[in-house]
Amino acid sequence: MIKNKKTKTKSTKKSLKNKKVKKSRTAKKPQKVDLVYGLVPKKKKIIDFKRETSINFTLKLDWKVKHDPGQFMMVGIPGIGECPISICSYSDQYVELSIREVGNVTKALGNLKKGGFVFARGPFGRGYPMHYFKGNNVIIVGGGCGIAPLKGVIEYITKNRTDFKDVLLYLGYRSPDDVIFEEQLKSWEKKFCLNVSYDKAPAKSCYDGKVGFVTELIRKSKFDNKNKIVFICGPPIMMETVINILKKKKFNNDQIYISAERRMQCGGGKCGHCMIHGVYVCKDGPVFRYDELMDYKND
Amino acid sequence: MNYVLKKEVFSKFVNSVLKEKGIDFIAPVKSEQNDIIKFQKLISFSDLCLDKNAYYPLKEWFFKKNEVLFEFKGDKITIPEKKPKPKIFFGVRRCDLNSINRQDVAFSEGCWDPYYFLEREASTLIGYHCFEKEDNYCFCGSVGLEDHYDLMFYDRGDYFLVEIGSKKGAWFLKQRIRFFKKTTERLSARKKVIKNANRLQKKNIAPFYDHKNWKKGVDLCLGCTSCNTLCPSCYCFEFKDKVNISNLKNGKRIREWSACQLKDFSEVAGNHIFRSDREHRFKHRIYHQLQYFNEKHGKHLCSGCGRCIRGCPTRIDFVGILNNMKTKKPNVKKPKK
Repeated sequence: MIKNKKTKTKSTKKSLKNKKVKKSRTAKKPQKVDLVYGLVPKKKKIIDFKRETSINFTLKLDWKVKHDPGQFMMVGIPGIGECPISICSYSDQYVELSIREVGNVTKALGNLKKGGFVFARGPFGRGYPMHYFKGNNVIIVGGGCGIAPLKGVIEYITKNRTDFKDVLLYLGYRSPDDVIFEEQLKSWEKKFCLNVSYDKAPAKSCYDGKVGFVTELIRKSKFDNKNKIVFICGPPIMMETVINILKKKKFNNDQIYISAERRMQCGGGKCGHCMIHGVYVCKDGPVFRYDELMDYKND
Repeated sequence: MNYVLKKEVFSKFVNSVLKEKGIDFIAPVKSEQNDIIKFQKLISFSDLCLDKNAYYPLKEWFFKKNEVLFEFKGDKITIPEKKPKPKIFFGVRRCDLNSINRQDVAFSEGCWDPYYFLEREASTLIGYHCFEKEDNYCFCGSVGLEDHYDLMFYDRGDYFLVEIGSKKGAWFLKQRIRFFKKTTERLSARKKVIKNANRLQKKNIAPFYDHKNWKKGVDLCLGCTSCNTLCPSCYCFEFKDKVNISNLKNGKRIREWSACQLKDFSEVAGNHIFRSDREHRFKHRIYHQLQYFNEKHGKHLCSGCGRCIRGCPTRIDFVGILNNMKTKKPNVKKPKK
């Protein structure tokens, strides 16, 4: 009996030792890794708040972070939620986010003011591989809110103008009242070949200009497929019709880059919401070369 | 080197581990109310139930149903300090051990998930081998299971043969070496094979994506998501903010399980749903389990435990549906003359 007791005490002592070792191992890791993984958002100050239209606004955050054009961030307010927003600037000094009020979170973000705070994490995803297209002509097709990520591309091109040849912009808005980035449009008009279209004439004010879809602008234009790269971002129907038109102009699948949109929760390729046939939009995208996704239209 | 644990000593071994302080011993326990076996903290040796595999998977111990990511008070965010208790899991079957390995892969891919691995590092997995399939729903033989365990118990009649699979397991055994004896006995890979469990005959299911037979399963599906919740390797989740009712600015962000069979799983702003058909959602789960994960990591996400069929209210047997599918013969049109 006495012997048994001794062995028992020994074993408990050993187990206590083990416990200590495990504690020290586990206690260090979480604080370091939590922030790296990016599950915990950072508090960022709003330097500028600009209302573009009745439902669109642009936030400028005081955040010095390196990013590619086309990447996105999870922006939110604790207690309300988070949503993925694409970065619409290209700068080391700040981050700009263009947001449309459609849901709970975006509406709450719309009530913020200059000097306020948002909680954001990121940048996530794979942006446009711009260094890859040096020496090419660039065609940019955007529709509505989809112009936001493309603004980052345009800012990249203006910074490295010598790397690219001709730049054609085709931007479509719902009506003249829904124009976002109105100031930037003026400067883009001087630098690049800018084409703007409006789907509808505004209801209340008088407007005499032309009315039509962006797709028609592209159909009418006379460019060929030589040394050209096309970036498309906008509503799915618009992207599909633009791709069909481009195919008639004999563009290859690897000349077209599209930007996909899915529900996102984690941003790190784990939660599974954004999966298209095994591809995570948040990690492997949101920018895809067309041939990477072209078989998965239904999903 | 393998070890032997005699069955007379087995109860003493379990009782001694139960008495150790600071360690939780978790094993399959049959509930008295509804005869369902579930992994629970073991209180006495008599509760231990090794006749059948557990109805509920083991994943809830690592990938928790409600994981608090952080707490917020107004603008201040605090990360709760987590110190999980060391846990020993006993009686884990081969399929569950593999599914835990798949979740390890999923949560370490790209960036390391701290919340999952805190629990995972504090755990020791002791397996229990089943030599025969449990019922007609098992198909673990056809998904290519591997050995992932810290310790493995093989029932050999009047004794257990114990194999060591990792340093953690060896260390656990070394502490309790008084119960074990060394042997030279080894089980060959052929003897370890679980008999009659290779029910799924298709190895590559990619050509059947547009097959009409999917409709048989889809028509029965209620969209209840019990297949997702019972699956030991499904790892999709969602973030939710839970606020205090007394002060709406305080609360916590929680990670919850999510299910790809739900309609709002792929819903985006503007009420657009990408997988609005039940058929697409149904196929998405099966193709993720048997194809997409395999393309990336070289192994199936599915571990063939059959829980999704056993727990389905309409018993949709997707394995049977897949087996009955035949590849279409290529329609070679004769050139017109």
